[in-house]
Parts: sequence; C-alpha cells; structure tokens
Amino acid sequence: MTTPSSSGDDNLVAPGPGVRQGDPGSATGAALGGGPAGAGTATTVGGGTLTQPRIPAQAAEHGERADGTDTAEPIGLGTSPVRADALAKAMGTFPYAADLWAEGLLWGAVARSPYAHARILSIDYGPALAIPGVYAVVTAADLRLGPTGLADGAPSGPIVQDRPVFAADVVRHFGEPVAAVAADHPDTARLAAAAITVAYEPMEPLTDPEAAFTAPPIHPDGNLFRHQPVRFGDPEATGDVVVEGLYKVGRQDPAPIGAEAGLAVPRPDGGVELHVASTDPHGDRDRAAHCLGLDPDRVRLVVSGVPGATADREDVGFQVALGLLAIRTGHPVKMALTREESFLTHPHRHPALLRYRHHADAEGRLVKVEAQLLLDGGAYAEVSSEALAAAAAMAAGPYVVPHVFVDAWAVRTNNPPAGRMRGEGALQTCFAYESQLDRLAAALDLDPLEIRRRNAMSTGDQLPTGQAVTCPAPVAELLDALAAEPLPPLPVDQPDDEWLLPGGPGGAGDPAAVRRGIGYAVGMVHILGAEGTDEVSTASVRVSGSQASVMCTAVDTGTGFSTLARQIVQDVLGITDVYIAPVDTDQPPAGPSARGRQTWVSGGAVERAALMVRHQLLQPLAMQFGMSPELLTISDGKITSYDGVLGMPVLQALEGKDLWATAQCRPHPTEPLDAETGQGDAFVGLAFCAMRAVVDVDVELGTVRAVELAVAQDVGRALNPEQIEARIEAGATQGLGLALMEDLVSEGGRISNASFTRYRLPTSLDAPSIRVVALLEERDVVAPFGAKAVGAAPATVAPAAVAAAVRAATGRQINRLPIPAEDVAG
Amino acid sequence: MLPASLDEAVTALAASPAAVPVAGGTDLMGAVNAGLLRPMALIGLGRINELRGWQYQDGTAQLGAGLTHARMGRPDFAALMPALAEAARSAGPPQVRNAGTLGGNIVTADPAGDTLPVLAALEATVTLVGPEGGREVPVSHLLTGLDPMRGGELLGYVRVPLLHAPQVFLKATGRTGPSRAAASVALVLDPARRAVRCAVGAVAPVPLRPLEAEQWVSGCIDWDGDRAIDPAAAAAFGEYVAAACVPEPPQADPEGLEGGPAAAAVRLRRTVSVLARRALGRALK
Repeated sequence: MTTPSSSGDDNLVAPGPGVRQGDPGSATGAALGGGPAGAGTATTVGGGTLTQPRIPAQAAEHGERADGTDTAEPIGLGTSPVRADALAKAMGTFPYAADLWAEGLLWGAVARSPYAHARILSIDYGPALAIPGVYAVVTAADLRLGPTGLADGAPSGPIVQDRPVFAADVVRHFGEPVAAVAADHPDTARLAAAAITVAYEPMEPLTDPEAAFTAPPIHPDGNLFRHQPVRFGDPEATGDVVVEGLYKVGRQDPAPIGAEAGLAVPRPDGGVELHVASTDPHGDRDRAAHCLGLDPDRVRLVVSGVPGATADREDVGFQVALGLLAIRTGHPVKMALTREESFLTHPHRHPALLRYRHHADAEGRLVKVEAQLLLDGGAYAEVSSEALAAAAAMAAGPYVVPHVFVDAWAVRTNNPPAGRMRGEGALQTCFAYESQLDRLAAALDLDPLEIRRRNAMSTGDQLPTGQAVTCPAPVAELLDALAAEPLPPLPVDQPDDEWLLPGGPGGAGDPAAVRRGIGYAVGMVHILGAEGTDEVSTASVRVSGSQASVMCTAVDTGTGFSTLARQIVQDVLGITDVYIAPVDTDQPPAGPSARGRQTWVSGGAVERAALMVRHQLLQPLAMQFGMSPELLTISDGKITSYDGVLGMPVLQALEGKDLWATAQCRPHPTEPLDAETGQGDAFVGLAFCAMRAVVDVDVELGTVRAVELAVAQDVGRALNPEQIEARIEAGATQGLGLALMEDLVSEGGRISNASFTRYRLPTSLDAPSIRVVALLEERDVVAPFGAKAVGAAPATVAPAAVAAAVRAATGRQINRLPIPAEDVAG
Repeated sequence: MLPASLDEAVTALAASPAAVPVAGGTDLMGAVNAGLLRPMALIGLGRINELRGWQYQDGTAQLGAGLTHARMGRPDFAALMPALAEAARSAGPPQVRNAGTLGGNIVTADPAGDTLPVLAALEATVTLVGPEGGREVPVSHLLTGLDPMRGGELLGYVRVPLLHAPQVFLKATGRTGPSRAAASVALVLDPARRAVRCAVGAVAPVPLRPLEAEQWVSGCIDWDGDRAIDPAAAAAFGEYVAAACVPEPPQADPEGLEGGPAAAAVRLRRTVSVLARRALGRALK
C-alpha cells in the first residue's frame, strides 16, 4: 500500500478470472489478487487459461445468470442446486484468505511460547528489530491497557474475557502468542519472531483435568470454568439392573484444510480492515476492537472464503495481532500460519472424562441415570460453559428417564484451549450413554435396537432439565428405519485380495483374523444458542431489474447457506437470478455460524425479507386484478391468480422498480439452567440422528476399518437433499475420525503431533460407504420451513456407533476415543 | 543447481559444501516450508538419469538412488524384489510416491522409513560417491552411524542381492489409508544359504535384525521339501522377534482405563509378533 490515506479497496486488485465478482466467497472480492507479477497466487491460474469442463461450468453459472429461457432445472426449496462456488473450489481458483494480496504489504509472524506454563520474566525484542526489513514488533504492552493501567494482554472471549491476545505475565498453553512481528518478507518475519528473546521461568504445567480441582489456580479466575448439576426426580430410586462405566474422549482437532491466514489493511481513520476467514464476523470485530482499544465502527471485518470450519475457526490472537501490526506499521500486513501453528492455536474439541451409572428395570426400561462429566476446557474459557450446559442437559440421551442426576464440570488446564466443534458437549456424552446402553443390553440379554426402542424419547417427553420436548422427536422411527435396512454383504464370495481389509490394500491384514461387528447408536444435539443467548439474525432482500440480491452476514463455512439463501429467494419471489452479497461487518449482524443456527435464524430472516418484498410486488397487482394478494402465486417466474385466469411474468410486474426489505428472525427465548438443579427451558430445538456402523476388525493387530455407516436423520424438512447428504457424510466422517484415529496428543501440555503426518485424518480408504437410509421430514412448526440443522447430529452419533460396532466385533469394553489398538486387541 | 550426471553433482557439491542435495524433496522441502531448514543452496538430483533406473549385475540388482517409490512399485520390479516393491507401494499417498526416492528414504533415515527394514533384511549395500571416488557401505552401517556419509559424498546406488525367493513386507498403521508405520516387518528367504532374514522397522531409530530368531527359525524350515513350517513354530518365531526387538514393557496394571506406556509397549510387542508370524506364513505359503 503506497498511500495509506486512501481507502484500502482502491489498492486491492480485482479477483482472478476464475471467480466472478460477487460470487459468494469472492466476498473479499475487492481484496483479492491476480496480483502483480511475483505475488504468485492461485488466483492467477484462472478459468481463462484452463479449459473448463462444460457441464459443471453451466451448472455453476445457473441461478446467477439465468435469463428466463433456462427453466428446465427446478429451482427453489427442496431441489439440489450446485453451489455457486463449487467449480472454482474444485479447480483451485477460488481465492481464500491465504491468496489475498495488497500493494506494499508486509508479512506478519507470531512468536509463541515453547512452554505450557511459564512466567514471563522479560521480553527483549531488540535483536528482532535490528534485523533489516523488520518494521515493527508488538507485544502485550501495545494493546489496550488493563484496568490497573498495566499491560494485561487485553483479554477477551466470547463469554468470559480471559484470553489475552499476547501473554503479558504468564503463558498458559504451548504455542500461546507472546509477540508478533511485521517484516518485508515472510522469512524475515519468522526469523525476527525467533530472534525475540523471552526469559521464561517454567512452572509445573497442569495437564490432568482431574487435578485441576486441587491444583493451585493457573489463572486469577481459578481453575473451574463452571459446575452444572442436574437434579431431576428421586435420588433414592434404584433399578433391578445397574451398569457402570468410565469413558474417555480424546482431543480432536478441526484440522481445517486451509490454515489460518488473513490480511489487515490500515484505515485512514486510525482503524483497520481485517480480511479473515471468520465464522463470527461481528463477534470477532467487537472483540478485536475491544483488544485494540478502538471503537467497533473503526474496525471493519471482511469475510473471505472459509477454507474449512466446523464452528469456531480462528482465535482472537491471530486477528488482533494482524490488525495491530497493520495499525502500527501503516502498511497492509498479511499473515499465514504454518500447519503447526494452526494446530496449536485454534480451538479443539473438549477432551472429556465421563463416569456413568445406569439403573434399569428387568424389561430394560431406564430408571435412573447418574453421571459425572468432566470437560477439559484448556487454558482459557472460550465457550466451555456453553459446551458444558449441552453435556449436562443431554447426559441421559434421547431417552425417557424418570430420574437423572448429573454433575458436570468444565475446568482450566494448561492444554490448548477447546472451543466449538460440531456437537460440542453432546458428542462426548453420546459416546458414554450409548456405551452404557450397550452394557445394559448385554446385562439384560436384549437386542441393542430393542433396548433403545423401549426407552426412546418422543415429542412431549421431558428432558432432565424439565424442558418439554416440543419439537418432533422421531427417535423410534429413526431406529425403525435403520432396522429395516439390509446389511452390507459379507465378502465371503470375493477373492481375499479384493477385500479391503483393515490395514489397507497390500497391508498386513489377514482375513482369518478379521471379525465383523455391527453397532447402533442414537443421539441428539441442540440447535441454536442455549440458555438465554439472544439468537437473532438480520437479512435484507432487494429486487432490482431481473436480479434479486441477498444481504446477510451469515458466513457460509461450507454449510451451503449461500445456496440455501438463493433457494429461499427463488422459492418466495420466483426470481432465478439471485446474488448473494459478500459478508462484512458494515451490515447488521447474523451471529456466528455455529450450533446449526444459520438455517434457522438467517434462513428465517431471508425468508421474511423476501416475503415482504413479495408483498410489495403483489399488492399493486392484486389491486389491478381486484383480488387479495394471497390469491396470487408465483411459480416458474410467473405470477398467476388462484384460478389461473390472470397472470403476468414477474419481470413485467416489477416494472423496473427497486424493491427492498429488511427483516429479522428471533426464535423464542430460552432461559439459563438453574445453577443448583439444572432445571430450565434452555434449548430452542433438538435434532436427532441414528446410525448403524459396520466394521471389520483385525483382532490380532487391533486395526479397524469401517465398512459402512447407515444414517437415519431427523431433518424436519429437506431443503436441499444433496447438500444434506454431503453434510451428513462430512459429519459422519469427522465422527469416525474421532472414533478411530484423531487425537491431538498433549505430553505435559506440549503438542507432539501438530502435523498432517502425525495427526491422522481419515483418508478415502478409511471413510466407509455412508448411506443415508432415511431423512425423516416431520416439520418443526416453530422453525422456519420446519427445517432442522443437519451438520452436528451425525458427527455426534458416529463415534458412539463405531465404538458399538468394535465392541460387537471384539466383545471387549470400548471405553476410550479414539479407540486405541490395545483396547481392541489386548 | 541441476547437474545432469553424478560426477557433475559431486563436483557441484565439492564447490559449494553448504549446498544440500535434494532428490524427491518430500521430506526436505517440507522441512524448508516449515522453516526448520534454510539451506544456502540446493543441488537438485532429479535430472541425473543414471540414478533413476536399475539394472542387473552378477546376481545383484543395482538400484539408482533416484528410483521413485512409484517406479519400485511396478510389477517388473516387484517380480524380482517383492518386499521392496511392497514397501514402496505402502509409502504414503501417490503424490509422495511419485516424487520420493529410494536414496532419499535412506538418507532421511526416518525411523519409520518403509524401505529401510527391507534393505536391512536384504543386507543391501550402498555406493557412496565422493570427490575421491566411490565406496561400498552396508546399509545397516550407514544407518547406525557405524560408517556415516562423509562431507561431499552423495548416495549413488543401492546394491540388492537377487534371491529369487519369497519376500514379504508387512506394516501396521493406525489407519487404512497411507500412514506412518507403527511397526513394520520385512522378511526374506535365502534358499541358497538356507536362511531367513528379518528386520523390524519403526520400533527403534534404525531397523533391527533379530539374528537369533532368524537362525532358530531357519532350522525349523524343511528347505528341501515344500518349505512348510509348523504353525506353532511360526507363532514362536513371532514372539521371539518381538522379544528381541521391543524392550520389556514396564510393569503396570494393563486393565486400567489409562493404558499408559505399559499397555502401549505390550501392544507394540504383540503387533511385532503378529507381523513377524504373518510375514513368515506368507513367505512360506
């Protein structure tokens, strides 16, 4: 950037030819670079130079540039249009944050703590500043000062403000940012970051969550984030059969395919513009402004394409460091984290320790569930208390249990911070209560499906929090759908070498040692924020000429929200050409893209805005026809009266007018769980999923290969069936990864496998065939369109189902996730 | 620098001793990208055609250090050196196998390097070429540091005996897709010398040879007949190999929820034992 006084956008380069301006995700359109020579980004490899496959190209264009003649393909809700950005993403021309470029940019790098727990004695950044090409070094002292006037690293957080941008006096996890550097070359920046001399006094790390209760506090706020009891029914009740178990869930990493990257551009008013792959733009903007000591209006956050997020994605330390460097140097600053840094800083899944005791009568009906749940929240609070509420409230699962007693704790340790990941809280307990049901079934000699059917929750039943389940709860129907599904064939008639054994093709697997196991699990997740969170989203819809535009700051993290918004507008207004505006914080907030909320709140807001536009469109026409607007329908781009006599194309009715409406969607309010009894109507909605896993286990080597996952899911209404299947496949595969292989290992707080070589993700050979056997469409009357979120439920249930199948194959107790080989085969 | 012959490469290395030779770069460039390594210069070995092929030479095969894993996995190669082909096929995803080379695998000397136990079991030798000419070093001496590479030397060729007998490479991993070995076993039969040679990879910094177990089991095989072995003897061989290669696990309660190091060590022993037993079974099938 040569002239810091001009607006940032002027210096930024137009997007490469692969992505049309205004495509969703070219959100940062303006900031992207085909770039001057030498900037060398992926965006320069455009569609113009490559021969584009014809059919997908047309599909991708469809709905954006349709001209009315192309009406063969169905539009609107219930259809499965291709994502507008699918082609660019498949061809690698889609510009993500790592591809951003601006004239005269500097490169940022972060100096991180090599200790999990240490006191900072001094920071000497002189050697870093002495390196030629280094423009600035920033530490906690450069941030907004604390209440005492001393630097405290400007702690912030979504719920509790305890996570500093840079550690000021104490580092509390391995890889915690201590300082950041801006330099004229990425290597110089890294070199300078390494040259910052920090004198540490190492302290004993607290890495065992069980020890957190008694250990000396590692933070002024103490080691306990939250304790949530649930007291429901009679504590003295007992059953004929009692089973107990202790379960452990490891630390899963979201492992986004694109590591964190972003670009900050200083604004002439002293503020800063952040181009990052945020999943909660307004929340991140507010936190960043708070840390920088700026008015929120002077921080603008522009969301670039998100290269992988399963809820939370970036930590505030990354975004604020970037913004601070840009303000300090007056230059645009770009930062791209290495894979290792990415593993160390972004939020992980809460590791959990769960102790359960289930009481049942002789028929297998649950009498009482007692549970103690312990979530390891890592060094900072983040959203641990929220995950804990979900864990505590859903500790008994989608079953009718008259007596439930739960104590749940989320504690602080020197492990990396945990955050939101599909089904946070619900996943950990699902593994435990489903394992308990398997034990009960074994103790009572019942079929695992039968015991679940006998206890299945349905609409009108009560959660242990006293909340009545008012939404559809088709648990028994989901189980029936699975039961009716034929099993995959046994490979008996195939030659051995065509059988993909555990261990892979040409691996060590031996057919004689392989046992097949079948396991079932059912689970639930809550939709939307809980416990009184003000869930609201705002959207605007504008119709101008033949094009409709949607302005909504719901970030499409891969959930398909942009496609859905297009479908909604097509459905309501009958206009094919729908443009989804890029997301930035100049527009009203839509809240974080997490907890399956965008389909509900933002989808609902888009629908309401579109309906308001529709009313504006039909009102004059209805007057003209002499009938009420309710008697007119829009389909296939035409407005038709109820009797089909009168009609007019939508475009003609518009008469070149510019129609605009803004609407909000705010679901019914919830209340916090009572701190003593855990009672309260805390959740807006629930989604259910049942899964059957079929696995092959090499019982000598302890290797497991999932053969098939059959999924039956409660979706309310299938708005985009193909997208739903894709979400189910994604969720189930992530759950399978946690069940069998994904574990970020903390050795005394130090992460020892922060790379894709050591952190094993499921490959295409590991992913089983995932079959969606039923999408139950029982509409939820309070939800927009009656639809439920689909992404989290399969991820929540898959680990439990895979564990059940391994249990069935080996006859061993499977109490740990990911399942270690020694638990499978001695 | 992109030398076109081995001599040119040696000269180039002598001229700039700080330069780092790079072949496939699958390990090296990862380290460079991660900022762990900042070489002054690189000498690309990818254009040296003489290193990219292989040929017979009186009962042995001379393999160029630049042979890629993909090339070693092909059927013509597998017909002569089946275990090496198996190891090459199991080493990483196709992108890595297309670039990664045999020489790179040896020089990187990753404990989990897939070809290493096979080379150890085959008692392969490597030709190191330096300014003073070439010298032959057993691969195990190179890996253990008994006879390390000297400054200015490049790995030119790997010499592998052609045994014309079954060879097996088995690898235990944590997933079905390509992955680092938790343990691997290479086992080759040498009918001419009536010997079984076995090496265990990934459990120690270098491949381990359980010499006593090899000797014992070669006495159990009916070499003149159908080369059958009693299943009990095969199982005992597995135990023998595992006991020789994996240290005694510390005493601990293996039934607790926390498996801990004891359970992991027990598991590793059983894995090696099963791999060795299965490898022997497949070799004698």
